[in-house]
Amino acid sequence: VPRYINSFILNHSIFSLVPVEKNITLERPSNIELTCQFITSGNVNSVNVTWKKGDKQLETIHTNATGSILYTQYMFIITDSKQMGSYSCFLEEEKEQRGTFNFKVPEVQGKNKPLITYVGDSVVLICKCQHCSSLNWTWYSNNGSAQVPIDVQMNDKYEIKGTNANETRLKITHLSEDNKGSYWCRAAFPLGESEQRVELVVLSYLVPLKPFLGIAAEVVIVVAVILLYETHTQKKKKLTDDGKEFEQIEQLKSDDSNGIENNAPRHRKNESVSQ
Amino acid sequence: MAHRAEPPDGGWGWMVVLSAFFQSALVFGVLRSFGVFFVELVAAFEEQAARVSWIASIGIAVQQFGSPVGSALSTKYGPRPVVMAGGILAASGMLLASLATTLTHLYLSIGLLSGSGWALTFTPTLACLSRYFSRRRSLATGLALTGVGLSSFAFAPLFQWLVSLYAWRGALLLVSALSLHLVACGALLRPLSLMEDPVVGGPGAQLTSLLHHGPFLRYTVALTLINTGYFIPYIHLIAHLQDLDWDPLSAAFLVSVVAISDLVGRVASGWLGDAVPGPVARLLMLWTTLTGVSLALLPVAHTPTALMALAVAYGFTSGALTPVAFSVLPELVGTGRIYCGLGLVQMVESIGGLLGAPLSGYLRDVTGNYTASFVVAGSFLLAGSGILMTLPHFCSLASTSKPQDRIREAVETKVSLSKEEPEED
Repeated sequence: VPRYINSFILNHSIFSLVPVEKNITLERPSNIELTCQFITSGNVNSVNVTWKKGDKQLETIHTNATGSILYTQYMFIITDSKQMGSYSCFLEEEKEQRGTFNFKVPEVQGKNKPLITYVGDSVVLICKCQHCSSLNWTWYSNNGSAQVPIDVQMNDKYEIKGTNANETRLKITHLSEDNKGSYWCRAAFPLGESEQRVELVVLSYLVPLKPFLGIAAEVVIVVAVILLYETHTQKKKKLTDDGKEFEQIEQLKSDDSNGIENNAPRHRKNESVSQ
Repeated sequence: MAHRAEPPDGGWGWMVVLSAFFQSALVFGVLRSFGVFFVELVAAFEEQAARVSWIASIGIAVQQFGSPVGSALSTKYGPRPVVMAGGILAASGMLLASLATTLTHLYLSIGLLSGSGWALTFTPTLACLSRYFSRRRSLATGLALTGVGLSSFAFAPLFQWLVSLYAWRGALLLVSALSLHLVACGALLRPLSLMEDPVVGGPGAQLTSLLHHGPFLRYTVALTLINTGYFIPYIHLIAHLQDLDWDPLSAAFLVSVVAISDLVGRVASGWLGDAVPGPVARLLMLWTTLTGVSLALLPVAHTPTALMALAVAYGFTSGALTPVAFSVLPELVGTGRIYCGLGLVQMVESIGGLLGAPLSGYLRDVTGNYTASFVVAGSFLLAGSGILMTLPHFCSLASTSKPQDRIREAVETKVSLSKEEPEED
C-alpha cells in the first residue's frame, strides 16, 4: 500500500433512521478510512451490511458488533479524480439505514454580484479558495458560447497575479464595452477541478449622465420658480407701497395749502387712507 | 429697503427653516454617509484605508476652517449669493471626483472644492435662520438640525443602491446632482435687513469687535471644550460594545436607538429653549452637564438595560444641546454680527472636534479599554459647561435682549474700537 504524506482518517457515525450525509473536501491524494455505526433492533449477527460507490458494490470491508451497536469500516486510497464521488454504507433490516460520504474538491469563491466599471478604467477580478494550499489557476473569458483561455503574453491588457496561491487576480486595463460579459477562474487540484464565474459590466459615462442632467434641469426650474415668485410678491408690495406714498404726498400738499380750518375733513381723509 | 426692528419670527422664516433642513442633510448627511464610497474607493484605487480616509477628513477640515470666509462674504453680500455659489462649488467638486483617476484628484475635488462649497453654505444658513427668529429661535434651529440625523438614515442605503447600479463614478455624479439642490436652498434665503445692520459695519470691523468681546471669547472656549468630548461616543460606542462582547446586530440596534433619541432631543430642546424665559445659556449648561454625566457613567454600566438607558440619555442630551448652542450666540453678539460670530465659533470649535477622537483613541491604546476615554470626554463637557456659567446675565431672569439694547451695544463697541485706533479718525 503506497504511503502519502497527507493521509488522514475520517470517522463518521450514524445513529438515526433518516439517511445521513457528510460532505468532505479533499485536495490531494489521501488514505481514507470510513466508519459507520448502526444501532440494530434485531439480532446483530443476522443483519446485512454493504458499502457502495454509486451502483458498484465495494469489497474489503470490516464489520464487528458490540451489544446492539454495529461498526463497519471501509478503507481505501484516493489517488485521482475518478475515485472522488459518493460512498455509502447500508444496513438492511426492516427499515434500511444509510449513510453517505460525499468527496468533493474545494469550492472556489468569486463575486456574486456583477462588477460595474466604466470605459477606460481598470478592474481586478478576484477568485479565492479558502481552505486550500497552493493551486494552479487559469482564467477564461466568454466568446459567444465558449470559454476562451486568456493569453497574458499577447498584450498589456491582461495581467494575472497569484497563479500559485490561495487567491488569483486578473487585472484588465483600458476597458472597452467589448470586454463586458462572463469570466471564469478555474483552479486545478490533483483530484479534480473547480471553477467560478465573475460577471463584468462595462458602462459608458453617458449612462449616469442622463439622470444627472435631468436632476440639474429640475434644480434650475426650482430656483427659477423661487426667484420669480419673489420678484412677483415684491412687485405687488411695491405697488401698494407706491400707492401709500402717493397718498401721503397728496396729504402734505393739502396740509400746506389748507391750513388749520379744514381740520375735520383732513382727519377723516387721513383715517380712510390709513385703512 | 426698510430695516426691521424685530425678526419676523415666522412667515418666510419657515421657508428658511426648510432651506436649513435640506442644507444640513446635504452637507452633513453626505459627509456621514461617505463610508459607502470609502469601501469602493479602497478597491478601485488599490490604496490603503488610511490614505482614502483623508478625503473625508480634508473635506470636513476645509468646511470648518472655511466657515469664517463664508460668514464674512455673507455679511457683505447677504447669504443668498454666497450659499448659491457654495452649492455650485460643492456639486462641481463631486462632479470632478467622478472623473478622478488618482487619489490626489479626489483630495482636491471632494476635499478642497466640495469642502469650500460646504463652508460657504452651512454657517451662513444657520446665521440667517437666527436673524429670522427671536422668540422661536431654538425651535426653528432644532427643527432645521433634524436634517442631519434623518439624512444619515436615508443617505447610507441610497448611496449603497446608487453604487450597486452605477459603481462609484456614477454614484458620485448623482450625488453631485443631489448637491445641486444646495443652490435651490440658497435661493430661499431672502435677504433680511435688521435695524442693527448698518451700525455694526462690514466684515472686517465685525471680526475685530468680536475678538475684543469677552463673553464671545469665553463662549468659544466653552464650545471648543464641548466639541472635544461631543464626538467621541459617535466614533467609539460600537467599539466599546464589542469590547463588552455585544453581538453586531444588538450594537447596531443600540446605535439606531441613540440616533432616534438624538432627533427627539433636538426638537424637544428647541421647543423648550423658546418656552423657558431667561438666557438660553442656562439650558445649554443643563444639557451639557447631563451629557457629560451620562458619558462619564457609561463605562460603569455593564448590564444591557443600564447601557441602553445611558446611551438613550446621551443621545437625547447631546441632541438637545445642539440647537441651544446655536441660539446662545445671537443673544451674546446680536443678530447684526451673527454671520461673522458663527463663522469664528465654527472654526475654533473644530479644533476640539479634530483633537477629540485621536485623544480618545490614544487613551484606549494606553489603558486597554474605553473607560478612560469616556470619562475624559465627559469631563471635557463638564468643563465646557462650567465656563458657560461665566457668561453675562446667567443668573438673571431677564428676557432676551431688545433691539435697542443690541444697537446700543453695537454702537458702544464701535466707538470704543475707533478710540483705540486714533489713526483711522
